[in-house]
Amino acid sequence: EDALLPAPQNISILSTNMKHFLTWSPVIIQGETVRYSVEFQGEYEREYANESWIPICECSLITATVCNITEDISATVAYNLRVRAGVGARRSEWGTLKVFFNRVTTSLTPPLMKVIADGSHLLVELEDMGPAFQFCVLYWKKGQESRMQQKVVKEVRSMVHLDTMEEGTDYCVKAQTYVEAINRSSSFSQTQCVRAQGGTSKWL
Amino acid sequence: LTAGNKIFHFGPCRVSMSLTEIRSGFTAIKANVQARDPVRTLSILSHPHSLHKVKSSDRCCITHHLFNFYVDKVFKHCKTEDSYVNRKISSIANSFLSVKRKLEQCREQNKCICGQESKEKFEQILLNYEALNITSAAIKSLGELDILLDWV
Amino acid sequence: SGELYCSLPNPRNVHFESVNMKNVLHWSAPEGTGDGVLYKVKYSVYGVGKWIRKPECRNINRTWCDLSSETSDYEEQYYASVKAFLNGKCSDWIETTRFNPLTDTKIDPPMVSVSSTEKSISIILTAPETWKRSPEGESISLLQVYPGLQYNVSVLNKKTKKRWFFSISNNTLVVPQLEPDTVYCVSAQIHVITPLLHSGFSKEYCIATLKDKTA
Repeated sequence: EDALLPAPQNISILSTNMKHFLTWSPVIIQGETVRYSVEFQGEYEREYANESWIPICECSLITATVCNITEDISATVAYNLRVRAGVGARRSEWGTLKVFFNRVTTSLTPPLMKVIADGSHLLVELEDMGPAFQFCVLYWKKGQESRMQQKVVKEVRSMVHLDTMEEGTDYCVKAQTYVEAINRSSSFSQTQCVRAQGGTSKWL
Repeated sequence: LTAGNKIFHFGPCRVSMSLTEIRSGFTAIKANVQARDPVRTLSILSHPHSLHKVKSSDRCCITHHLFNFYVDKVFKHCKTEDSYVNRKISSIANSFLSVKRKLEQCREQNKCICGQESKEKFEQILLNYEALNITSAAIKSLGELDILLDWV
Repeated sequence: SGELYCSLPNPRNVHFESVNMKNVLHWSAPEGTGDGVLYKVKYSVYGVGKWIRKPECRNINRTWCDLSSETSDYEEQYYASVKAFLNGKCSDWIETTRFNPLTDTKIDPPMVSVSSTEKSISIILTAPETWKRSPEGESISLLQVYPGLQYNVSVLNKKTKKRWFFSISNNTLVVPQLEPDTVYCVSAQIHVITPLLHSGFSKEYCIATLKDKTA
Protein backbone atom coordinates (compact mmCIF):
# COMPACT_ATOMS: atom_id res chain seq x y z
CA GLU A 1 0.00 0.00 0.00
CA ASP A 2 1.24 3.58 -0.73
CA ALA A 3 2.84 5.58 2.04
CA LEU A 4 0.23 6.40 4.68
CA LEU A 5 -1.11 9.96 4.62
CA PRO A 6 -0.13 12.07 7.60
CA ALA A 7 -2.95 12.41 10.13
CA PRO A 8 -4.51 15.87 10.51
CA GLN A 9 -2.87 17.98 13.24
CA ASN A 10 -3.85 20.89 15.51
CA ILE A 11 -7.35 19.51 15.99
CA SER A 12 -9.29 21.89 18.19
CA ILE A 13 -12.77 23.21 18.91
CA LEU A 14 -14.09 26.73 18.62
CA SER A 15 -17.22 27.07 20.73
CA THR A 16 -19.15 30.29 21.19
CA ASN A 17 -22.77 30.69 22.31
CA MET A 18 -23.47 26.97 22.02
CA LYS A 19 -22.25 26.79 18.42
CA HIS A 20 -19.39 24.32 18.23
CA PHE A 21 -16.91 23.96 15.36
CA LEU A 22 -14.10 21.43 14.94
CA THR A 23 -11.05 22.76 13.09
CA TRP A 24 -7.71 21.26 12.04
CA SER A 25 -4.66 22.06 9.95
CA PRO A 26 -4.79 21.00 6.30
CA VAL A 27 -2.82 17.98 5.13
CA ILE A 28 -0.84 19.11 2.09
CA ILE A 29 -0.14 16.53 -0.68
CA GLN A 30 1.24 18.08 -3.83
CA GLY A 31 -1.08 17.80 -6.78
CA GLU A 32 -3.77 15.98 -4.77
CA THR A 33 -7.14 16.96 -3.33
CA VAL A 34 -7.24 15.83 0.27
CA ARG A 35 -10.62 15.04 1.80
CA TYR A 36 -11.45 14.69 5.47
CA SER A 37 -13.98 12.72 7.52
CA VAL A 38 -15.07 13.46 11.07
CA GLU A 39 -16.47 11.18 13.79
CA PHE A 40 -17.62 11.85 17.36
CA GLN A 41 -17.87 9.81 20.54
CA GLY A 42 -19.84 10.80 23.61
CA GLU A 43 -19.30 9.65 27.16
CA TYR A 44 -22.11 7.15 26.60
CA GLU A 45 -20.29 5.55 23.68
CA ARG A 46 -17.07 5.33 25.68
CA GLU A 47 -18.62 3.79 28.76
CA TYR A 48 -21.57 1.78 27.46
CA ALA A 49 -21.09 1.14 23.73
CA ASN A 50 -17.61 -0.36 23.36
CA GLU A 51 -16.00 3.03 22.70
CA SER A 52 -17.83 3.22 19.38
CA TRP A 53 -17.52 6.24 17.09
CA ILE A 54 -20.30 7.85 15.11
CA PRO A 55 -19.67 9.44 11.72
CA ILE A 56 -20.93 12.95 10.98
CA CYS A 57 -22.20 12.59 7.44
CA GLU A 58 -22.21 16.36 6.78
CA CYS A 59 -18.45 16.20 7.33
CA SER A 60 -17.67 13.07 5.39
CA LEU A 61 -15.09 13.39 2.56
CA ILE A 62 -15.07 17.21 2.76
CA THR A 63 -12.25 19.42 1.55
CA ALA A 64 -12.82 22.11 4.18
CA THR A 65 -10.82 21.96 7.42
CA VAL A 66 -13.77 22.92 9.63
CA CYS A 67 -16.89 21.00 10.64
CA ASN A 68 -20.01 22.29 12.43
CA ILE A 69 -20.57 19.72 15.18
CA THR A 70 -23.28 21.66 17.04
CA GLU A 71 -26.06 19.24 16.14
CA ASP A 72 -24.17 16.25 17.58
CA ILE A 73 -22.77 17.89 20.72
CA SER A 74 -26.25 17.89 22.22
CA ALA A 75 -25.65 16.68 25.77
CA THR A 76 -23.65 18.13 28.64
CA VAL A 77 -21.07 15.33 28.77
CA ALA A 78 -17.45 14.98 27.61
CA TYR A 79 -17.14 14.35 23.87
CA ASN A 80 -14.18 13.11 21.87
CA LEU A 81 -13.74 13.89 18.19
CA ARG A 82 -11.46 12.61 15.47
CA VAL A 83 -10.55 13.49 11.87
CA ARG A 84 -8.73 11.58 9.19
CA ALA A 85 -7.47 12.56 5.75
CA GLY A 86 -8.03 10.69 2.52
CA VAL A 87 -6.78 10.84 -1.07
CA GLY A 88 -8.58 8.42 -3.33
CA ALA A 89 -8.46 5.07 -1.50
CA ARG A 90 -5.57 6.12 0.74
CA ARG A 91 -6.47 6.99 4.33
CA SER A 92 -4.48 8.58 7.13
CA GLU A 93 -4.56 7.56 10.75
CA TRP A 94 -7.16 9.31 12.86
CA GLY A 95 -6.14 12.55 14.46
CA THR A 96 -7.95 12.99 17.77
CA LEU A 97 -8.70 15.92 20.12
CA LYS A 98 -6.06 16.28 22.81
CA VAL A 99 -8.66 17.04 25.46
CA PHE A 100 -12.31 15.99 25.57
CA PHE A 101 -14.82 18.73 24.87
CA ASN A 102 -17.80 19.49 27.09
CA ARG A 103 -20.20 22.18 25.89
CA VAL A 104 -20.36 23.57 29.39
CA THR A 105 -17.13 25.36 28.43
CA THR A 106 -18.69 27.27 25.53
CA SER A 107 -17.99 30.99 25.73
CA LEU A 108 -21.13 33.07 26.23
CA THR A 109 -21.20 36.64 24.96
CA PRO A 110 -23.56 39.31 26.27
CA PRO A 111 -26.63 39.74 24.05
CA LEU A 112 -27.05 42.56 21.56
CA MET A 113 -29.79 44.71 23.00
CA LYS A 114 -31.65 47.88 22.10
CA VAL A 115 -33.73 49.73 24.66
CA ILE A 116 -36.70 51.80 23.50
CA ALA A 117 -39.04 54.16 25.30
CA ASP A 118 -42.31 54.28 23.41
CA GLY A 119 -44.31 56.95 25.15
CA SER A 120 -44.13 55.91 28.78
CA HIS A 121 -43.49 52.27 27.98
CA LEU A 122 -40.08 50.68 28.41
CA LEU A 123 -39.29 48.07 25.75
CA VAL A 124 -36.28 46.01 24.75
CA GLU A 125 -35.25 44.37 21.50
CA LEU A 126 -32.98 41.34 21.90
CA GLU A 127 -30.91 39.39 19.42
CA ASP A 128 -32.28 35.95 18.54
CA MET A 129 -29.52 33.55 19.59
CA GLY A 130 -31.40 30.28 19.07
CA PRO A 131 -33.70 28.04 21.11
CA ALA A 132 -31.09 27.22 23.76
CA PHE A 133 -31.05 30.84 24.98
CA GLN A 134 -33.14 32.74 27.47
CA PHE A 135 -32.47 36.31 28.60
CA CYS A 136 -32.41 37.84 32.03
CA VAL A 137 -33.23 41.53 31.68
CA LEU A 138 -32.62 43.90 34.62
CA TYR A 139 -34.10 47.40 34.69
CA TRP A 140 -34.17 50.18 37.24
CA LYS A 141 -34.76 53.87 37.74
CA LYS A 142 -31.48 55.67 37.26
CA GLY A 143 -29.85 56.21 40.63
CA GLN A 144 -31.93 53.47 42.28
CA GLU A 145 -29.66 50.53 41.45
CA SER A 146 -30.69 48.88 44.68
CA ARG A 147 -34.27 48.49 43.42
CA MET A 148 -33.57 46.58 40.24
CA GLN A 149 -36.37 44.59 38.64
CA GLN A 150 -35.89 41.43 36.60
CA LYS A 151 -37.72 39.92 33.65
CA VAL A 152 -36.86 36.53 32.11
CA VAL A 153 -37.47 36.48 28.37
CA LYS A 154 -37.75 32.94 27.03
CA GLU A 155 -38.75 33.68 23.49
CA VAL A 156 -37.24 36.47 21.51
CA ARG A 157 -39.86 38.67 19.89
CA SER A 158 -39.25 41.99 18.24
CA MET A 159 -40.19 44.38 21.05
CA VAL A 160 -40.59 42.88 24.50
CA HIS A 161 -42.54 45.07 26.93
CA LEU A 162 -40.73 45.52 30.24
CA ASP A 163 -42.75 48.06 32.18
CA THR A 164 -44.43 51.45 32.22
CA MET A 165 -42.34 54.44 33.24
CA GLU A 166 -42.98 57.57 35.23
CA GLU A 167 -42.81 60.52 32.90
CA GLY A 168 -39.53 62.46 32.97
CA THR A 169 -37.68 59.66 34.81
CA ASP A 170 -34.59 57.95 33.41
CA TYR A 171 -34.65 54.18 33.25
CA CYS A 172 -31.64 51.93 32.69
CA VAL A 173 -31.54 48.38 31.33
CA LYS A 174 -28.95 45.63 30.99
CA ALA A 175 -29.30 41.97 29.92
CA GLN A 176 -27.45 38.68 30.05
CA THR A 177 -28.12 35.36 28.33
CA TYR A 178 -28.91 32.19 30.25
CA VAL A 179 -28.44 28.69 28.79
CA GLU A 180 -30.54 26.25 30.75
CA ALA A 181 -28.90 23.15 29.23
CA ILE A 182 -25.54 24.04 30.79
CA ASN A 183 -26.94 26.20 33.59
CA ARG A 184 -24.65 29.13 32.79
CA SER A 185 -25.10 32.83 32.05
CA SER A 186 -23.13 35.36 30.01
CA SER A 187 -21.81 38.58 31.45
CA PHE A 188 -24.17 41.55 31.28
CA SER A 189 -24.48 43.76 28.26
CA GLN A 190 -23.64 47.43 28.37
CA THR A 191 -26.25 49.40 30.32
CA GLN A 192 -28.54 51.53 28.20
CA CYS A 193 -30.72 54.34 29.63
CA VAL A 194 -33.73 56.12 28.17
CA ARG A 195 -36.20 58.69 29.32
CA ALA A 196 -39.91 58.69 28.65
CA GLN A 197 -41.12 61.93 27.18
CA GLY A 198 -44.67 62.29 26.01
CA GLY A 199 -44.64 59.72 23.22
CA THR A 200 -41.13 60.27 21.79
CA SER A 201 -38.11 58.56 23.23
CA LYS A 202 -34.94 60.38 24.04
CA TRP A 203 -31.62 58.55 24.30
CA LEU A 204 -29.32 59.48 27.15
CA LEU B 1 -43.43 17.89 41.47
CA THR B 2 -42.57 21.10 39.68
CA ALA B 3 -43.43 20.58 36.09
CA GLY B 4 -40.99 23.24 34.87
CA ASN B 5 -38.37 22.34 32.43
CA LYS B 6 -35.34 23.21 34.54
CA ILE B 7 -35.20 22.03 38.17
CA PHE B 8 -37.06 18.84 39.01
CA HIS B 9 -37.97 18.37 42.67
CA PHE B 10 -38.35 14.74 43.70
CA GLY B 11 -38.89 15.38 47.37
CA PRO B 12 -35.46 16.43 48.79
CA CYS B 13 -33.75 15.47 45.54
CA ARG B 14 -33.38 18.45 43.21
CA VAL B 15 -32.13 17.66 39.70
CA SER B 16 -31.72 20.16 36.88
CA MET B 17 -32.84 18.42 33.72
CA SER B 18 -33.20 19.99 30.31
CA LEU B 19 -35.79 17.63 28.86
CA THR B 20 -36.38 19.92 25.90
CA GLU B 21 -33.36 18.57 24.06
CA ILE B 22 -34.22 14.96 24.84
CA ARG B 23 -37.79 15.53 23.71
CA SER B 24 -36.79 17.28 20.47
CA GLY B 25 -34.26 14.53 19.75
CA PHE B 26 -36.95 11.89 20.29
CA THR B 27 -39.58 13.76 18.27
CA ALA B 28 -37.18 13.79 15.33
CA ILE B 29 -37.03 9.97 15.25
CA LYS B 30 -40.33 8.97 16.91
CA ALA B 31 -42.16 7.89 13.74
CA ASN B 32 -39.11 5.98 12.47
CA VAL B 33 -38.50 4.14 15.75
CA GLN B 34 -42.16 3.36 16.54
CA ALA B 35 -42.60 2.01 13.00
CA ARG B 36 -39.92 -0.57 13.82
CA ASP B 37 -42.06 -1.90 16.72
CA PRO B 38 -44.87 -4.07 15.33
CA VAL B 39 -46.04 -5.34 18.74
CA ARG B 40 -49.17 -3.39 19.71
CA THR B 41 -50.23 -5.66 22.51
CA LEU B 42 -47.32 -5.17 24.91
CA SER B 43 -45.93 -2.05 26.47
CA ILE B 44 -42.73 -1.83 28.50
CA LEU B 45 -43.65 1.21 30.58
CA SER B 46 -47.42 1.72 30.58
CA HIS B 47 -49.07 -1.69 31.08
CA PRO B 48 -50.29 -3.41 33.12
CA HIS B 49 -49.45 -0.61 35.56
CA SER B 50 -49.22 2.99 34.37
CA LEU B 51 -46.34 5.17 35.48
CA HIS B 52 -48.93 7.78 36.25
CA LYS B 53 -50.22 5.75 39.20
CA VAL B 54 -46.85 5.83 41.06
CA LYS B 55 -46.94 7.48 44.51
CA SER B 56 -44.99 10.74 44.64
CA SER B 57 -42.69 9.38 47.35
CA ASP B 58 -41.52 6.71 44.94
CA ARG B 59 -41.08 8.97 41.92
CA CYS B 60 -37.43 9.72 42.48
CA CYS B 61 -36.50 6.07 42.81
CA ILE B 62 -38.52 5.01 39.77
CA THR B 63 -37.02 7.85 37.73
CA HIS B 64 -33.53 6.80 38.77
CA HIS B 65 -34.26 3.16 37.95
CA LEU B 66 -35.65 4.13 34.53
CA PHE B 67 -32.73 6.36 33.54
CA ASN B 68 -30.36 3.55 34.56
CA PHE B 69 -32.48 1.05 32.62
CA TYR B 70 -32.26 3.08 29.43
CA VAL B 71 -28.53 3.77 29.76
CA ASP B 72 -27.53 0.27 30.85
CA LYS B 73 -29.90 -1.86 28.81
CA VAL B 74 -31.75 -0.04 26.05
CA PHE B 75 -29.69 2.36 23.94
CA LYS B 76 -26.87 -0.02 23.11
CA HIS B 77 -29.29 -2.39 21.38
CA CYS B 78 -30.93 0.28 19.25
CA LYS B 79 -28.36 0.64 16.49
CA THR B 80 -30.08 1.09 13.10
CA GLU B 81 -28.99 1.30 9.48
CA ASP B 82 -29.98 4.97 9.47
CA SER B 83 -27.08 7.24 10.48
CA TYR B 84 -29.40 10.14 11.28
CA VAL B 85 -31.39 7.97 13.70
CA ASN B 86 -28.16 6.68 15.24
CA ARG B 87 -26.90 10.23 15.85
CA LYS B 88 -30.14 11.20 17.53
CA ILE B 89 -30.02 8.06 19.70
CA SER B 90 -26.48 9.01 20.70
CA SER B 91 -27.68 12.50 21.63
CA ILE B 92 -30.50 11.10 23.77
CA ALA B 93 -28.24 8.47 25.35
CA ASN B 94 -25.63 11.04 26.36
CA SER B 95 -28.34 13.33 27.77
CA PHE B 96 -29.72 10.38 29.76
CA LEU B 97 -26.23 9.65 31.06
CA SER B 98 -25.91 13.24 32.24
CA VAL B 99 -29.24 13.02 34.12
CA LYS B 100 -28.45 9.57 35.48
CA ARG B 101 -25.28 11.00 37.08
CA LYS B 102 -27.29 13.69 38.84
CA LEU B 103 -29.86 11.21 40.12
CA GLU B 104 -27.00 9.02 41.38
CA GLN B 105 -25.81 11.90 43.54
CA CYS B 106 -29.28 12.07 45.09
CA ARG B 107 -29.18 8.33 45.81
CA GLU B 108 -25.76 8.60 47.40
CA GLN B 109 -27.06 11.43 49.62
CA ASN B 110 -30.11 9.31 50.57
CA LYS B 111 -32.46 11.81 48.99
CA CYS B 112 -33.99 9.26 46.66
CA ILE B 113 -35.66 6.61 48.79
CA CYS B 114 -36.79 3.34 47.20
CA GLY B 115 -40.02 1.90 48.62
CA GLN B 116 -41.79 -1.36 47.94
CA GLU B 117 -43.95 0.14 45.21
CA SER B 118 -41.02 1.36 43.13
CA LYS B 119 -39.34 -2.03 43.53
CA GLU B 120 -42.45 -3.87 42.28
CA LYS B 121 -43.09 -1.33 39.55
CA PHE B 122 -39.59 -1.63 38.17
CA GLU B 123 -39.68 -5.44 38.38
CA GLN B 124 -42.82 -5.35 36.21
CA ILE B 125 -40.99 -3.17 33.66
CA LEU B 126 -38.11 -5.66 33.53
CA LEU B 127 -40.60 -8.53 33.11
CA ASN B 128 -42.19 -6.70 30.18
CA TYR B 129 -38.72 -6.08 28.75
CA GLU B 130 -37.63 -9.69 29.05
CA ALA B 131 -40.83 -10.93 27.40
CA LEU B 132 -39.37 -9.87 24.05
CA ASN B 133 -36.09 -10.58 22.31
CA ILE B 134 -33.46 -8.04 23.21
CA THR B 135 -33.52 -5.93 20.03
CA SER B 136 -37.32 -5.75 19.89
CA ALA B 137 -37.46 -4.90 23.59
CA ALA B 138 -34.86 -2.16 23.17
CA ILE B 139 -36.55 -0.61 20.13
CA LYS B 140 -39.94 -0.78 21.90
CA SER B 141 -38.48 0.91 24.97
CA LEU B 142 -36.93 3.61 22.82
CA GLY B 143 -40.28 4.13 21.08
CA GLU B 144 -41.90 4.65 24.48
CA LEU B 145 -39.62 7.53 25.51
CA ASP B 146 -42.52 9.97 25.18
CA ILE B 147 -44.41 7.95 27.79
CA LEU B 148 -41.46 8.48 30.16
CA LEU B 149 -41.02 12.15 29.25
CA ASP B 150 -44.75 12.90 29.57
CA TRP B 151 -44.66 11.29 33.02
CA VAL B 152 -41.48 12.92 34.31
CA SER C 1 -67.05 -13.27 11.11
CA GLY C 2 -65.42 -15.00 8.14
CA GLU C 3 -63.39 -12.38 6.35
CA LEU C 4 -64.24 -11.92 2.69
CA TYR C 5 -61.57 -12.22 0.04
CA CYS C 6 -59.55 -9.08 0.56
CA SER C 7 -58.40 -7.84 -2.82
CA LEU C 8 -59.85 -4.33 -2.66
CA PRO C 9 -57.21 -1.57 -2.64
CA ASN C 10 -56.53 -0.24 0.83
CA PRO C 11 -57.78 2.99 2.38
CA ARG C 12 -54.99 5.58 2.23
CA ASN C 13 -53.45 8.07 4.59
CA VAL C 14 -55.16 6.70 7.72
CA HIS C 15 -54.31 9.19 10.46
CA PHE C 16 -55.60 11.05 13.50
CA GLU C 17 -56.44 14.73 13.23
CA SER C 18 -56.59 16.16 16.73
CA VAL C 19 -57.51 19.70 17.71
CA ASN C 20 -57.97 20.66 21.38
CA MET C 21 -58.08 16.95 22.18
CA LYS C 22 -60.93 16.24 19.82
CA ASN C 23 -59.42 13.19 18.14
CA VAL C 24 -60.91 12.28 14.75
CA LEU C 25 -59.67 9.46 12.55
CA HIS C 26 -59.42 10.43 8.89
CA TRP C 27 -58.54 8.51 5.73
CA SER C 28 -58.80 8.67 1.96
CA ALA C 29 -60.82 6.28 -0.17
CA PRO C 30 -58.93 3.40 -1.80
CA GLU C 31 -57.41 4.29 -5.15
CA GLY C 32 -59.64 3.84 -8.16
CA THR C 33 -62.85 3.08 -6.26
CA GLY C 34 -65.84 5.23 -7.06
CA ASP C 35 -68.89 5.57 -4.83
CA GLY C 36 -70.35 2.85 -2.73
CA VAL C 37 -67.30 2.02 -0.63
CA LEU C 38 -68.16 1.28 3.00
CA TYR C 39 -65.77 1.22 5.95
CA LYS C 40 -65.32 -0.35 9.38
CA VAL C 41 -63.18 1.13 12.14
CA LYS C 42 -61.48 -0.37 15.17
CA TYR C 43 -59.03 0.98 17.70
CA SER C 44 -56.69 -0.30 20.40
CA VAL C 45 -54.94 1.07 23.46
CA TYR C 46 -51.22 0.65 22.97
CA GLY C 47 -49.90 -2.13 25.21
CA VAL C 48 -53.33 -3.73 25.67
CA GLY C 49 -54.02 -6.87 23.76
CA LYS C 50 -57.30 -6.30 21.96
CA TRP C 51 -58.81 -4.33 19.12
CA ILE C 52 -62.16 -2.78 19.84
CA ARG C 53 -64.74 -2.16 17.11
CA LYS C 54 -66.41 1.25 16.91
CA PRO C 55 -70.11 0.47 16.29
CA GLU C 56 -70.98 4.04 15.21
CA CYS C 57 -68.42 3.73 12.45
CA ARG C 58 -69.53 0.36 11.09
CA ASN C 59 -70.51 0.23 7.38
CA ILE C 60 -70.16 3.99 7.00
CA ASN C 61 -69.50 5.68 3.66
CA ARG C 62 -67.84 8.80 5.09
CA THR C 63 -64.05 8.89 5.48
CA TRP C 64 -63.76 10.03 9.09
CA CYS C 65 -64.71 8.69 12.50
CA ASP C 66 -64.72 10.61 15.78
CA LEU C 67 -62.75 8.57 18.33
CA SER C 68 -62.48 11.35 20.93
CA SER C 69 -64.39 9.41 23.52
CA GLU C 70 -62.31 6.29 23.01
CA THR C 71 -59.01 8.18 23.15
CA SER C 72 -59.81 10.67 25.92
CA ASP C 73 -57.31 9.27 28.44
CA TYR C 74 -54.27 11.30 27.48
CA GLU C 75 -52.03 9.15 29.64
CA GLU C 76 -52.51 6.35 27.13
CA GLN C 77 -51.49 6.00 23.50
CA TYR C 78 -53.58 4.50 20.73
CA TYR C 79 -53.74 2.90 17.32
CA ALA C 80 -56.76 2.92 14.99
CA SER C 81 -57.44 0.91 11.88
CA VAL C 82 -59.80 1.06 8.88
CA LYS C 83 -61.06 -1.61 6.46
CA ALA C 84 -62.92 -0.93 3.19
CA PHE C 85 -65.70 -2.97 1.55
CA LEU C 86 -67.12 -2.82 -2.00
CA ASN C 87 -69.18 -5.33 -3.97
CA GLY C 88 -68.32 -8.26 -1.73
CA LYS C 89 -64.62 -7.47 -1.68
CA CYS C 90 -62.65 -5.96 1.14
CA SER C 91 -59.31 -4.35 1.79
CA ASP C 92 -56.74 -5.09 4.48
CA TRP C 93 -56.93 -3.37 7.84
CA ILE C 94 -54.81 -0.25 7.52
CA GLU C 95 -53.45 1.25 10.74
CA THR C 96 -52.42 4.68 11.96
CA THR C 97 -49.05 5.39 13.50
CA ARG C 98 -49.05 5.44 17.31
CA PHE C 99 -51.18 8.36 18.50
CA ASN C 100 -50.25 10.27 21.65
CA PRO C 101 -53.14 12.62 22.52
CA LEU C 102 -50.90 14.77 24.72
CA THR C 103 -48.23 15.58 22.14
CA ASP C 104 -50.06 15.00 18.85
CA THR C 105 -52.94 17.45 19.34
CA LYS C 106 -53.07 20.94 17.84
CA ILE C 107 -54.19 23.81 20.01
CA ASP C 108 -56.42 26.61 18.76
CA PRO C 109 -55.55 30.22 19.59
CA PRO C 110 -57.13 31.66 22.74
CA MET C 111 -60.27 33.81 22.71
CA VAL C 112 -59.37 37.46 23.30
CA SER C 113 -61.68 40.03 24.89
CA VAL C 114 -60.54 43.60 25.26
CA SER C 115 -61.97 46.62 27.04
CA SER C 116 -60.56 50.09 27.33
CA THR C 117 -60.53 53.25 29.39
CA GLU C 118 -58.97 56.57 28.43
CA LYS C 119 -55.44 55.41 29.08
CA SER C 120 -55.47 51.65 29.34
CA ILE C 121 -56.70 48.45 27.80
CA SER C 122 -57.62 45.30 29.70
CA ILE C 123 -57.20 41.94 28.02
CA ILE C 124 -58.82 38.68 29.10
CA LEU C 125 -57.70 35.48 27.42
CA THR C 126 -59.68 32.26 27.35
CA ALA C 127 -58.03 29.04 26.32
CA PRO C 128 -60.06 26.95 23.87
CA GLU C 129 -62.31 24.31 25.36
CA THR C 130 -61.10 20.75 25.05
CA TRP C 131 -63.33 17.96 23.74
CA LYS C 132 -66.19 16.92 25.98
CA ARG C 133 -68.52 13.93 25.97
CA SER C 134 -71.70 15.96 25.66
CA PRO C 135 -72.60 19.62 25.16
CA GLU C 136 -73.72 19.81 28.79
CA GLY C 137 -70.75 17.84 30.01
CA GLU C 138 -67.66 19.23 31.70
CA SER C 139 -64.48 19.53 29.65
CA ILE C 140 -61.04 19.31 31.18
CA SER C 141 -59.23 22.65 30.91
CA LEU C 142 -56.08 22.96 28.86
CA LEU C 143 -54.33 24.31 31.94
CA GLN C 144 -55.00 20.99 33.70
CA VAL C 145 -53.61 19.06 30.76
CA TYR C 146 -50.60 21.36 30.30
CA PRO C 147 -49.63 22.89 33.65
CA GLY C 148 -46.87 24.99 32.05
CA LEU C 149 -49.29 26.76 29.69
CA GLN C 150 -48.46 30.42 28.96
CA TYR C 151 -49.75 33.16 26.68
CA ASN C 152 -47.79 35.38 24.31
CA VAL C 153 -49.69 38.63 23.69
CA SER C 154 -49.01 41.14 20.94
CA VAL C 155 -50.32 44.74 21.23
CA LEU C 156 -50.16 46.93 18.12
CA ASN C 157 -50.51 50.71 18.31
CA LYS C 158 -52.30 51.45 15.04
CA LYS C 159 -51.14 55.08 15.09
CA THR C 160 -47.42 54.49 15.58
CA LYS C 161 -47.50 51.00 13.99
CA LYS C 162 -45.35 49.77 16.90
CA ARG C 163 -45.99 46.25 18.20
CA TRP C 164 -45.16 45.17 21.75
CA PHE C 165 -44.95 41.62 23.08
CA PHE C 166 -45.88 40.34 26.51
CA SER C 167 -45.47 36.85 27.92
CA ILE C 168 -47.88 36.02 30.77
CA SER C 169 -48.78 32.96 32.77
CA ASN C 170 -52.20 34.02 33.99
CA ASN C 171 -54.95 34.94 31.54
CA THR C 172 -55.36 38.67 32.18
CA LEU C 173 -53.22 41.63 31.20
CA VAL C 174 -53.73 45.35 31.76
CA VAL C 175 -51.63 47.74 29.69
CA PRO C 176 -51.68 51.14 31.39
CA GLN C 177 -50.42 54.63 30.38
CA LEU C 178 -51.61 54.45 26.78
CA GLU C 179 -52.54 57.33 24.51
CA PRO C 180 -56.18 58.37 24.59
CA ASP C 181 -58.31 58.12 21.47
CA THR C 182 -55.97 55.61 19.86
CA VAL C 183 -56.72 52.22 18.34
CA TYR C 184 -54.83 49.25 19.74
CA CYS C 185 -55.05 45.77 18.19
CA VAL C 186 -54.44 42.72 20.35
CA SER C 187 -53.69 39.13 19.35
CA ALA C 188 -52.56 36.22 21.47
CA GLN C 189 -51.02 32.77 21.23
CA ILE C 190 -50.87 29.78 23.58
CA HIS C 191 -47.39 28.46 24.36
CA VAL C 192 -46.70 25.17 26.16
CA ILE C 193 -43.08 24.34 27.09
CA THR C 194 -43.41 20.63 27.99
CA PRO C 195 -44.26 19.12 25.57
CA LEU C 196 -43.40 21.92 23.18
CA LEU C 197 -46.70 23.09 21.64
CA HIS C 198 -47.73 26.45 20.11
CA SER C 199 -51.13 27.60 18.95
CA GLY C 200 -51.18 30.09 16.13
CA PHE C 201 -51.81 33.74 16.98
CA SER C 202 -55.47 34.65 17.24
CA LYS C 203 -56.94 37.14 14.85
CA GLU C 204 -56.54 40.75 15.95
CA TYR C 205 -59.13 42.34 18.26
CA CYS C 206 -58.98 46.12 17.96
CA ILE C 207 -60.31 48.69 20.39
CA ALA C 208 -59.91 52.44 20.78
CA THR C 209 -58.98 54.10 24.08
CA LEU C 210 -61.53 56.72 25.08
CA LYS C 211 -61.12 60.39 24.31
CA ASP C 212 -59.32 62.42 26.96
CA LYS C 213 -62.15 64.38 28.63
CA THR C 214 -59.72 66.98 30.01
CA ALA C 215 -58.22 67.78 26.58
